[in-house]
Amino acid sequence: MSTKEQKERIELLQGTLDLLILRTLLLGPAHGHAIAKAIEFRSDDVLQVEQGSLYPALHRLIKRGWISVEEGTSENNRRAKFYRLTTKGRRQLAVETSKWDKLAGAIAQILRPVEQEGKP
Amino acid sequence: MRRRERMMEDLDRDIREHIEMETQDNIERGMSPEEARYAAVRKFGNVTRVKEETREVWSFIWLEQFMQDIRYALRMLRKSPGFTAVAVLTLALGIGANTAIFSMVNSVLLRPLAYRQSQQLYLVREIIPELSQTYPTLPTNLPNFRVWKRECHSFEDVAIVEPWSMTLSGYSEAEQISGGRASANLFDVLGVVPELGRTFLPQEDTPGKDQVVVLTDSFWRDRFHADPAIVGRSITLDGQPFQVVGILPAFFRFPRAAQLGAYIEFASRVDYFKPLGLDPAHFSQIGEFDFAAIARLKPGTGVGQALAELNVIQARIARDAKQGMDLRAEMIPLESEVVGTARRGLLLLLAGVGAVLLIVCMNLASLLLVRVPSRAREAGIRTALGASRGRLARQLLTESGLLATLGGVLGIGFAYFGLRWLVAVAPADLPRLDEVRLDARTLWFAAFVSVLTGILFGVLPAWRVAHAEPQQALKAGTTTTTESRPARHLRESLIGFEVGVGTLLLIIAGLLTTSMVRLVGIDKGFTTEHVLAVDVSLPPQSYTQPQQKDEFYDNVLARVRALPGVSSAGWISKLPLEGQEQVDGIIVPGRSRTVLQALVANYRYVSPGYFQSIGIPLRQGHVIEQAERDRHVAVISESVAKKLWPGENPLGKQFRPGLDPQMPLTEVIGIVADIRTVALDEPPLLMVYLPSKVGLYTWSGAHASLVVRAGTLPAALGAAVRGAIQNVDPGVPIDYLRPMAEIVSESVGVRRFQMVLASLFAVFALLLAALGIYGVVAYSVAQRRQELGIRMTFGARGPDLRNMVMLQGMLPVVAGWAAGVLAALVASRVIQGLLFGVTPRDPLTIVSVTLVVLFTGAVACYVPAARTTKLDPMAALRYE
Repeated sequence: MSTKEQKERIELLQGTLDLLILRTLLLGPAHGHAIAKAIEFRSDDVLQVEQGSLYPALHRLIKRGWISVEEGTSENNRRAKFYRLTTKGRRQLAVETSKWDKLAGAIAQILRPVEQEGKP
Repeated sequence: MRRRERMMEDLDRDIREHIEMETQDNIERGMSPEEARYAAVRKFGNVTRVKEETREVWSFIWLEQFMQDIRYALRMLRKSPGFTAVAVLTLALGIGANTAIFSMVNSVLLRPLAYRQSQQLYLVREIIPELSQTYPTLPTNLPNFRVWKRECHSFEDVAIVEPWSMTLSGYSEAEQISGGRASANLFDVLGVVPELGRTFLPQEDTPGKDQVVVLTDSFWRDRFHADPAIVGRSITLDGQPFQVVGILPAFFRFPRAAQLGAYIEFASRVDYFKPLGLDPAHFSQIGEFDFAAIARLKPGTGVGQALAELNVIQARIARDAKQGMDLRAEMIPLESEVVGTARRGLLLLLAGVGAVLLIVCMNLASLLLVRVPSRAREAGIRTALGASRGRLARQLLTESGLLATLGGVLGIGFAYFGLRWLVAVAPADLPRLDEVRLDARTLWFAAFVSVLTGILFGVLPAWRVAHAEPQQALKAGTTTTTESRPARHLRESLIGFEVGVGTLLLIIAGLLTTSMVRLVGIDKGFTTEHVLAVDVSLPPQSYTQPQQKDEFYDNVLARVRALPGVSSAGWISKLPLEGQEQVDGIIVPGRSRTVLQALVANYRYVSPGYFQSIGIPLRQGHVIEQAERDRHVAVISESVAKKLWPGENPLGKQFRPGLDPQMPLTEVIGIVADIRTVALDEPPLLMVYLPSKVGLYTWSGAHASLVVRAGTLPAALGAAVRGAIQNVDPGVPIDYLRPMAEIVSESVGVRRFQMVLASLFAVFALLLAALGIYGVVAYSVAQRRQELGIRMTFGARGPDLRNMVMLQGMLPVVAGWAAGVLAALVASRVIQGLLFGVTPRDPLTIVSVTLVVLFTGAVACYVPAARTTKLDPMAALRYE
């Protein structure tokens, strides 16, 4: 069914974004804007995240207990909310990373033969 | 849920900040402020959608998981319909019974009086220390009340009221209506506002201005079809016109019977109130203690302070009266006086029914524990796949919660019907019984109890499943031969507990039953078989002369005696078991006893034929004959004879019936057996019977009861007696007409009610415990198949194995029984007050209960244990 397909697609995307957020926060607590900037910067602007979609993802992670949230002051002296990786989140990052590696490997394996078949 | 609200509030601010920072960045990169902001907003995306998605994060997961758990739980319950049915049914019975009993407690104990701030209301009783041997406390007299009202500053106000009956005429048949005569401020003190019209004005206490009445809602509905136009109109009471000035609200209730203290008895139904209309000049300071006084304390005033002030006033009144008597007072919280002895019995029932629910929980917990190993395997798989323990426990708790909810819903249904039955069998003197129903508070209670039971029986199994080691669980499933020891101990202790509570309940029920048997079998002093009792009241406006009353009583007697099947009939001023009346001293001339030391007896006025009719045996002399009705003669009860003339022949002796020296000297002509006057469980009082001739002594003859003895008691006799009375005068209302046995039965109603319910709970508890024992033993036989098979191959015979299983099964039963007996012995002081003629450690009861418990336990063990004899060792070894 089409809805199911759509759901899977979204979940895959969400999962990826979650992974990127966790990875970013491994370096230390950050506020929402900084996380968006970091993801753009570290992926050499290849991954252009629509900045708003960061927030549902952040809340999903809070809900699962992978990150926590606290009040803080940003670099230009504004009050902002800082997100911090929890121990549970750190563990999850390891799991997700290895999953991602496996998935990436599997996809690569599937894709490569197609490529070879494609050029006789 | 609150967390979600907080998160969403924070999100708004977070997004604003984000866009602000991005704008700032853009400005630093050289954009104009307007451009920078636009770019930032575009880059952020659709703010509303972001918010919606975030909101979903917070609602969806929780709800989805919950729905998932419910669906899963429903699937699990459908998979084992037998277990589900037993669980839901026992829970429904347990919760239903608790809800029903709670709603009685709620109406009877928690809100006995619907008066404004009823905890501020106190019943005031007077004490004459010199008389306190015979009368510990007395009702209030009118002059003293006036002094208190004027001088006692601790009272916001104080009112008095006394029972008062009048005859309503002008509406078809004449009717005796009962109610009260009260000081005009009664309703202000109680804090009751009339539904229609007004209550009394202060000046209506004065004689001549008192011909106004306030009607109760139920009387207004029954008699006047709730016609609001009745307010302001006149009705005829005792032949006089009375203006109806107000109607009381439907929730208004007035204490009945002796709920306002001894010597004040209100009818079970209150129809009206009228103002006092009394001239205080006609009352002495020491005497005529007839009224119930109800005081409302000033806010912030303690009862101790109020009583101290009142006692100072009382001492002064006594000094001024110069009668050589002291005067004191006592204050009793009105609510506790109204609830009275019902409290302990109801609390016992509540505890009993709570214990039953506890057993239901234990039983379900033990049934669920049986399923732990199989569930543990499932849980192990799920843990291995990444489910957290909390999530697993939550899911299992959802299952038990679902069971409890189903049980609760069904239980409320049971409670609804159970309550109808309870109200029907409950004794009529339980206060506010007519208002007992399922209300919002009761439904909340049912919901609360359901949730509590769900947690109570679910938490232990859930904990055990969630904490099962996944590897252990996965491995153990296929190869285990014996159950793990802690698991078995846990279930055995649950069984022991169940049996213990069941034993305790059975002992209590047994003691209550024994009490009841002893009480009903006690020598009442009179007999009830084939005896009919009829109460009549003579309307004062048509019976003004004493001889009119005498004629009426004589004519009725003649007609009733002529009825076919009637063997004897006689009148008495007040029936046995209907309370005390006409209590006064006995004075023997020439004795040096002072007035205050005189013996006090209940005086009754009887016609010839009374003693034969009610079956009070004559011990000596003769009863009052027709020819002696005008003479000053008396029949006394045995204990009066023993106390006044020990070792002498009392016949022919003389005394004065009453402290009043004007009383004529009266000769003792006969001695009859003692009777139980107040209640079956209270020892006989001193009784003096005088001739029922109006005016011979102080008897007014306004009310009397006819006692009719028949060869058999045909149903038609009641109608025939009624017809005979109406033949003499259709204007005389018949208040009650019922077999004497019914009066006796009503007098033990509270005990019977307690006994029936306690027995019901005890039997239910025992059956539940038996079910639990059966479940555990059956399960252990199934689990130990392999072990038993091995034992058989090594030569154990079927019966040996059966005995072994039975012995192991009986172990917790015996332990539980011992604990239950011990608990009953410890609790004996609490139970004591509810018993009659039996000690709380009655060996017969304890032995019988022991036999019942052990026999039931043995049967519950034997049925599954006997299966071992049919065990095929080869099949057993191959099993699984």
